[in-house]
Amino acid sequence: MKKVLVLGASGNIAPYVTPDLDQDYDLYLSDIVPHPDGKPIINVDITSYPDVLEACRGMDAIMNFTVLRDDPVVSFEVSTKGAYHVMKAAAALGIKKVVHTGPQSIRHAYDHEFDIDDVPLAPGVGYYGITKYLSMEICEIFSRTYDIQTVCFLFNGLGPKPTEAVPQGDFPPFTVVWEDLQHACRLALEIESVPGNFQSFNLLSYFAQGKYQVEKAKRILGFTPMGRLEDYFRRTTD
Amino acid sequence: MNILITGASSQLAQAIATELKDDHSVRLMDSAPVNVAEGCDFIQGNTLDPDDSWEAVRGIDVLIHTGEPPTDLPSDELKREQVLLDLATRGTHVLFTAAVEAGIKKFIYASTLSIFNAYTDDVYITELWKPLPSPEIVEMTKYLGELTAREFAREHLVTVTGLRLGELVLEEAVPGEAPNLAWLDIRDAAGAFRCVLNRDSSSSAWWTQRWAIYHICADIPNPKFLIDQARGIGYQPAHDFQSLYLKPSAPSG
Repeated sequence: MKKVLVLGASGNIAPYVTPDLDQDYDLYLSDIVPHPDGKPIINVDITSYPDVLEACRGMDAIMNFTVLRDDPVVSFEVSTKGAYHVMKAAAALGIKKVVHTGPQSIRHAYDHEFDIDDVPLAPGVGYYGITKYLSMEICEIFSRTYDIQTVCFLFNGLGPKPTEAVPQGDFPPFTVVWEDLQHACRLALEIESVPGNFQSFNLLSYFAQGKYQVEKAKRILGFTPMGRLEDYFRRTTD
Repeated sequence: MNILITGASSQLAQAIATELKDDHSVRLMDSAPVNVAEGCDFIQGNTLDPDDSWEAVRGIDVLIHTGEPPTDLPSDELKREQVLLDLATRGTHVLFTAAVEAGIKKFIYASTLSIFNAYTDDVYITELWKPLPSPEIVEMTKYLGELTAREFAREHLVTVTGLRLGELVLEEAVPGEAPNLAWLDIRDAAGAFRCVLNRDSSSSAWWTQRWAIYHICADIPNPKFLIDQARGIGYQPAHDFQSLYLKPSAPSG
């Protein structure tokens, strides 16, 4: 069973992903705060390289879900320097798989466009966008140099799939439901290689607006979103 | 013009100051005390500190961010890497944010041609080629600083010019060394900064005009790095390392 270090395991994403993955992977949950469900946590501060290096020993893969959005100092510490620590540790220990994450806002210059899939990053100077943008550049540089296969997922909203009709409301753009994110993480952990050793992918679960697409994730990763979630947002016509 | 040059302790910053000080008012900044050329001002401050940066950019028309490391870097390798990463990313962000807020319209960032070292020598590299920086900390952080600087041109009505400099040397200091395709005499590098001092696209609605990048190195025979774009803005390097690049003629008879 692959050993996978999960960084940011107590945050807004990982607790919804790891319960599905832990059946097939030996997950090592790490964070600097307690897990919301009381699961054991390895104390790893991503801003400390010795912490990250030690936690990475013996791992087959690293999943980095850490983020600090809008603080002028800590956003750089966590998102940018943290990514540097992760990739430096992966290179030092010969770990060949990293799953990284970033926000849709790193290319918000395209917010008014349609059919957005694989577009250049254009984050602007907001702390969240630029620190994650720089983190992706760091991932790409290390991946290219040390033959580390890095998959980066970009998403905006996250949440459960709807369970009943949602009246008089459009569905949330660039939002992925937990099941699709779990599916994508499995694909990322299993894929042997990606072009150029580093690729970023849109992840979302609602498509009818024609705004954001996941064709690249389908083509390279084999991502198959569960589909038809737009049906919960249908207007009645009787 | 009132010009701020960061990285005052570096040879590059001092060469730029020497090049510009007779025609402009020059202020140099560094985190540790530095003796600067006569006629220049010095301000001690750290670009990571918003107050220091704000103090440094007051009254300035052009910000030249050399991105050159200070002399007081930690000796511990990991700490050195972390400081360089911090200075290039957050430091550039803090400094440029202060400068935008102070109303500065012209920014010049010193990047490096070493981000093309991964390419073999049998190609001609221009500004159209994709940078392939390595994780070597100075090379990588120079590139990350360049990306940070570029985002300010995307988001604000300011002119940001990136100068990707070759390997800085003095021509008279390298006799006998194997010629390097990226060599650039420091005095010519300083001249390149003068060339872009007046570039002003800050009122352009297109960010692609507010941002520009130029490759700067010596004008050598059979170059790897083409400098035609820089020539277009008046860059005329005086140091061509002629004696090192020209092969000796075959003995006659």
